[in-house]
Amino acid sequence: MTINRLGSGESKLETGISYLLIAGVIISLILEIIGIVILYHSYGHLAISRDAGMFIQGHDFFSFIYQQFQGKHLEGSGALFMTAGIIVLILTPYIRVIASVIYFGWEKNIKYVLITLFVLAVVTVSLALH
Amino acid sequence: MTGREWSNNIASDIIMLNIVSLGLLSILVGFLGSLTGLGGASILVPILVFFGVPVKEAIASAMVAIIATSSGSASSYVRERITNIRVAMYLEMFTIIGAIVGATITTVIHATYLYFFFAAFLLTAFIKFRSSLSEEYVPAERQDRVSRWLQLKGSYFDESTKKVVEYRATNALLGGAGMMVAGLAAGMLGIGAGAFKVTVHEKILKMPTKVSSATSNFIIGMTALAGVSVYLFSGLLNLTLMAPMAVGTTIGAMVGGRILNKISNRSLRILFFVIVAYLIVQMLYKGVVSL
Repeated sequence: MTINRLGSGESKLETGISYLLIAGVIISLILEIIGIVILYHSYGHLAISRDAGMFIQGHDFFSFIYQQFQGKHLEGSGALFMTAGIIVLILTPYIRVIASVIYFGWEKNIKYVLITLFVLAVVTVSLALH
Repeated sequence: MTGREWSNNIASDIIMLNIVSLGLLSILVGFLGSLTGLGGASILVPILVFFGVPVKEAIASAMVAIIATSSGSASSYVRERITNIRVAMYLEMFTIIGAIVGATITTVIHATYLYFFFAAFLLTAFIKFRSSLSEEYVPAERQDRVSRWLQLKGSYFDESTKKVVEYRATNALLGGAGMMVAGLAAGMLGIGAGAFKVTVHEKILKMPTKVSSATSNFIIGMTALAGVSVYLFSGLLNLTLMAPMAVGTTIGAMVGGRILNKISNRSLRILFFVIVAYLIVQMLYKGVVSL
């Protein structure tokens, strides 16, 4: 009985989340590798840099994403690609929670809508405040 | 002193690695972490410290790499329907709170404490590994009211026995408390704390071993995100550390996962003991010399 139930709705959630996770990781790692290659072409070496431009800086994750698209805070596209990779990586589990909220809402499972909303709210506030 | 000021006070020439060597080292560590069940970050943080990376930066960067490694390996378990997403979502409420508190503690305490906390946590992994060798999985006889209300049950198809295994999780509240401790350790030390989480799933929530591992893997990604949310703008996240660590540990873990079934348990046990013993000694040494 359980298998039949899982075979319908919840399996779609699982398939969707599975592709979301792997896509997020692959895109992120490709961006990191492109960033490293560009960094090498720009500087001719691949030292662990302690330059301020190599540290993530900002006040709130969501405006930080916007600033990257504006190209205001980073010099050199190597660092920009690497930052974009980190943003995609952070967004991967974040979008996974949003997808879960939508799914449980669609299933009218109020308990799990509230549970997933709690997780989403805590992570959103923490990303926005730190 | 803020993390920003702290990290700027460290001389650049004491880090004996570059992006390529760190990437290759991360592949090896991701591979070993996957084989032994320790996870890449538990091994990588002490090794980075050994090569001169400040411990707080090593912890913060490892937390980012964990999102990649965990999401990559969680993907296949989710697709095979071994992961219990409802159990994971419920337990994530506790791990993310623990991780945020843990990461906040790390940003404010003196680095010396972190060496000792890290060594102590590795010691618990060592003890748990010994106990897990002797105990078999015991299904829950009855489900408590809270676990039943939370619909903490499920089923999966076991490839080795070709049977559908149905299970009911129990002790939801105690399990939640255990996961908060796991989250605290994860956020504080920049690790997945997978061994600890799996133990909570198996021994407290009474879930089957495969479901415990798969669900723990899934939760680790969200716990790491909560930890990263604290470290994000603390001045500890260095792109030239994070990029090779994320790429390397993920590739290493994928390779390790593929050959896991081809290596004997005896070899894995010896590997586990050697690695954990080395990491404990390394972190204790660092802690003592920094006193």
